Amino acid sequence: MFGGLPALLRRVREDLAAMAITAQLAVAATPLAALWLARSAADALCTDLPATRAALAAVPLTALQLPPPLARRIEGCGLRRIGDLLALPRASLGLRLGKPFVIDLARALGEIADPQAYFVFPERFEQGLELPAPVDAAPVLLFAARRLIAALAGWLAARNGAVREIECLIDHGHGLITAMPLAFSAPVHSAERIERVFRQRLDRLVLTAPALALRLRVQEAQPREERSHALFDGGGQRHEALADLMDRLGARLGPRAVQGLACHADHRPELASRADPEAPAGKLPAPAGLPRPLWLVDPPEALREARGRPQREGPLTLLAGPERIESGWWDGGDARRDYFVAIDGAGRWLWLFRDPRPPGGWYLHGWFA
Amino acid sequence: MNPALTQVLERSDIRRGDAFGMAPLPALATGFPRLDAQLPGGGWPRGALTELLAEHGGIGELGLLLPALAALTAAGRTVVLIAPPHCAHAPAWAAAGIRLDCLRLVFPRQPRDALWAGVESLRCGGVAATLLWLDDLFRRQLPANSLRRLHLAAGEGGGGAFFFRPAQCAAGASAASLRLHLQAAGRQLRVNILKRRGPPARQALLLDIARPAHFPHAVAGAALPDTNGSRRRSRVAA
Repeated sequence: MFGGLPALLRRVREDLAAMAITAQLAVAATPLAALWLARSAADALCTDLPATRAALAAVPLTALQLPPPLARRIEGCGLRRIGDLLALPRASLGLRLGKPFVIDLARALGEIADPQAYFVFPERFEQGLELPAPVDAAPVLLFAARRLIAALAGWLAARNGAVREIECLIDHGHGLITAMPLAFSAPVHSAERIERVFRQRLDRLVLTAPALALRLRVQEAQPREERSHALFDGGGQRHEALADLMDRLGARLGPRAVQGLACHADHRPELASRADPEAPAGKLPAPAGLPRPLWLVDPPEALREARGRPQREGPLTLLAGPERIESGWWDGGDARRDYFVAIDGAGRWLWLFRDPRPPGGWYLHGWFA
Repeated sequence: MNPALTQVLERSDIRRGDAFGMAPLPALATGFPRLDAQLPGGGWPRGALTELLAEHGGIGELGLLLPALAALTAAGRTVVLIAPPHCAHAPAWAAAGIRLDCLRLVFPRQPRDALWAGVESLRCGGVAATLLWLDDLFRRQLPANSLRRLHLAAGEGGGGAFFFRPAQCAAGASAASLRLHLQAAGRQLRVNILKRRGPPARQALLLDIARPAHFPHAVAGAALPDTNGSRRRSRVAA
């Protein structure tokens, strides 16, 4: 599955290096033997029992990390290596050094079974990193963050999961912590995408104090969406590219700088648009047949009136209207206006209203463009 | 004709001055057959920059693009607006046939960010069309290589790239493959093709774009309620 033992070991070494973990690897036919061999720093690669037994013979007894009283007793007998123990009759070893130790030895040698509990990945991800030196510049944090992001991606890969939100905490010491939440428009799982958004977000961050440590936290992973249809129409790929773009724009420009557009059920034009496309659209569609401008001037621009006509860089010609829009008396946003379509001397199409109540006055409220 | 010359002319990277260039991607129909007939590929270019140089904002420059945008969003494709000049009024966009859930509006504060956002959006294969308004943010001092960057980005992403600019910018050199000068002409819009991949256009087109009211029949003054004792007028418009 992993392309053979050497390839697997290479991948393990690479991944460990990416996470800056120093490790001693050992391969043996039993779990305990592998642990002892690794501790003894022998680059052992024993795939069967005879080889494992031969390698174990050379392992110093300190690698067993025995409880100190037992270790002292063994040392007192002049024994240094596992091989020295194996040369002695097993029954007398049990009498002198205790039954648990002999059982461990038998497990390491593969004489009795040594069932292992399956490793269960933690339900939530939380991993931190002390920075080797205080960091003043936010972009420098990216280097450290790469390790944590690689670990997170591994955690996600193990559960075939994806995340929409990542909590990133920057520790300045003295209990001072900057929280930098990363939000994604769609669940992500690749280290590359997480890193890109992280980088954009860091560019905007101004550190209030030097950073001493960094921590990533994910409360919950969700199952990855299967996108097999992408194989056929490219739609899934486009969707992913778009989600990635929106994440990067949001990370660099701020989440409020990227908006959707939706109709909102309100007669008042300035309340008829919503930035959040996920908000319920309401049941007030665009008034059919009535002129509505693509652009809204917010707040409305007060216009001069001369000789009975509204003026804006010259007199405006009214082409259609009035359309009375009256709404909002129930929530204090009282609006009663008479709307007109107008054109100016340059051929621009304007949406005007006149306040019918005294003192009245003309306002520019939109452009037809 | 010389056979060697014929051979050269058959190459895809050779264009004869009297013929339209081959667009690398199928064009987007503009919704105006007379305009399509004048554009290489028969519509708005994809994967190349289009400059829309309007004499003024509000003359119908966006109306020229709406039919194409409606078709794109109807197919579920995304349209991104970078630094639009005003707030978008959702009911009007919906009434123009645009699927609102396919629109994304980006409001960068810094000119540098706006150019970056434009380039990123154009490069993204998931965006079917990007509309940009950058000149106001740059106080009409757009960096010299911006058009080239946008044009190259459009080539990577392969979507429509529509850069709305003031008509004064028409004098400058441009990497855009299509440049249109837009003027108000009453109910109509006068479209002058300044540059296209093909022979120079001979005359301006007058297009009937969607307008909110009839023209030039002005509203009768009687429709206006009087306020402040101002005198009743027979006509509002001269």
